[in-house]
Amino acid sequence: MSKHFLRPPGALPEAEFLGRCIRCGKCALACPYRAIRIAGLLDGLEVMGTPIIRARQSPCYLCLKCVPGCPSGALDHRVKKREQVRMGIARINRKECLTWQGTFCRSCYDHCPLFNEAITMDSELRPVVNEKKCVGCGICEHVCPADSVAITVIPGGSG
Amino acid sequence: MKITPMRRTVQLLSLAGMVAVPLLNSRGISAVSGSFYSMEIGRLLLTDPLIAIQPLLATMSIDATLLASALIPAGLALVLGRVFCSWVCPQNTLSELFDAVGIRLGGRRFFMPTQGPLVRYAVLAAILAITLLYGFPLASLLSAPGIISVQTARFIYEGTVGLELALIGTIILAELFLVRRVWCNHLCPVGSMLSLFRFKKTMRVVMAEEGEHACLHCRECAKACQLGLNPMDGEIAPQCHNCGACIDACQGMTGERRPLSFRF
Repeated sequence: MSKHFLRPPGALPEAEFLGRCIRCGKCALACPYRAIRIAGLLDGLEVMGTPIIRARQSPCYLCLKCVPGCPSGALDHRVKKREQVRMGIARINRKECLTWQGTFCRSCYDHCPLFNEAITMDSELRPVVNEKKCVGCGICEHVCPADSVAITVIPGGSG
Repeated sequence: MKITPMRRTVQLLSLAGMVAVPLLNSRGISAVSGSFYSMEIGRLLLTDPLIAIQPLLATMSIDATLLASALIPAGLALVLGRVFCSWVCPQNTLSELFDAVGIRLGGRRFFMPTQGPLVRYAVLAAILAITLLYGFPLASLLSAPGIISVQTARFIYEGTVGLELALIGTIILAELFLVRRVWCNHLCPVGSMLSLFRFKKTMRVVMAEEGEHACLHCRECAKACQLGLNPMDGEIAPQCHNCGACIDACQGMTGERRPLSFRF
């Protein structure tokens, strides 16, 4: 497998997703934020034509408008609420994170759509990801002001 | 009444729709959405039959909704033949256009000497076998109408297009400089799949042999065929995609005799 990409909400596990997705582009048409992009050949032959989300540029805002339109079942129609989404899990790189390095910042904490659940503050007001709650939407990655992005979503899981 | 002007109208409307759908969708109007792989009109889902069976082969799991959404397109082919190809498909429209340009430029190009559906079905079988063996949706990457429509949408949404369009460029160059209309006529898996849906009542071009409708043997029909078929040879289906150019040409020569016509 080539690179691993963040998929739209409701996506099946990667191997199954690649076989199910018919590359019709309908999810990208449904995305009001134009966050769902169509992968090109440069992203890898296997993923060419499939929907990907580049969270740094444009994250998923969890409106879930893409899910019910998927004709092939590559996006699971049973995913109806944002809490059910499992696009990936955010990871904080503490060496890059401003707060963990001593400068006060709470961009990721403030912007997380699952506010105070997926990202919480520890006793010293440093952000911590709750892996059980994080849905992997990538909004934290999008808003992180650190030069080399201290919080990134690791794609994976399913949903 | 001539068939070609009606067909040109449908072709233009199809191209306009292909551009209008992403433009409207991007403004939140999504009563119609999708591409030539699969589209949704109101709540009605329509999927290319080739594309609909692909996940079944690739993942060995059945999605009844997806398979059911191919019934109307398959039914249309069963009744009217491959009219999707000749009346709607943007690749056919492009190929027709470039073929006409090629004729104007006077290049020496030939149709493939064999005209049967053998190559067509061999290519389709190979593509489906690869999908089955490797779980890789090859058909999606070889659907010219799908690629053209998705890349149009991608251009509207992202301001960029993908290398998938290289396939379209290759088809056009091959048809201009190697074999006329080789993609639609022999290679396209979308058309091959549609041509499987036929029975003895499927609409086709039929030549009246005798009596008042008798053929004048002027050969205008064969000259008019963009796929290099000869209706005077008898059975030209499933290579024929019911564009009706031969019928128009025939009518031009024979007036009311009408030896050639669409019949069920």
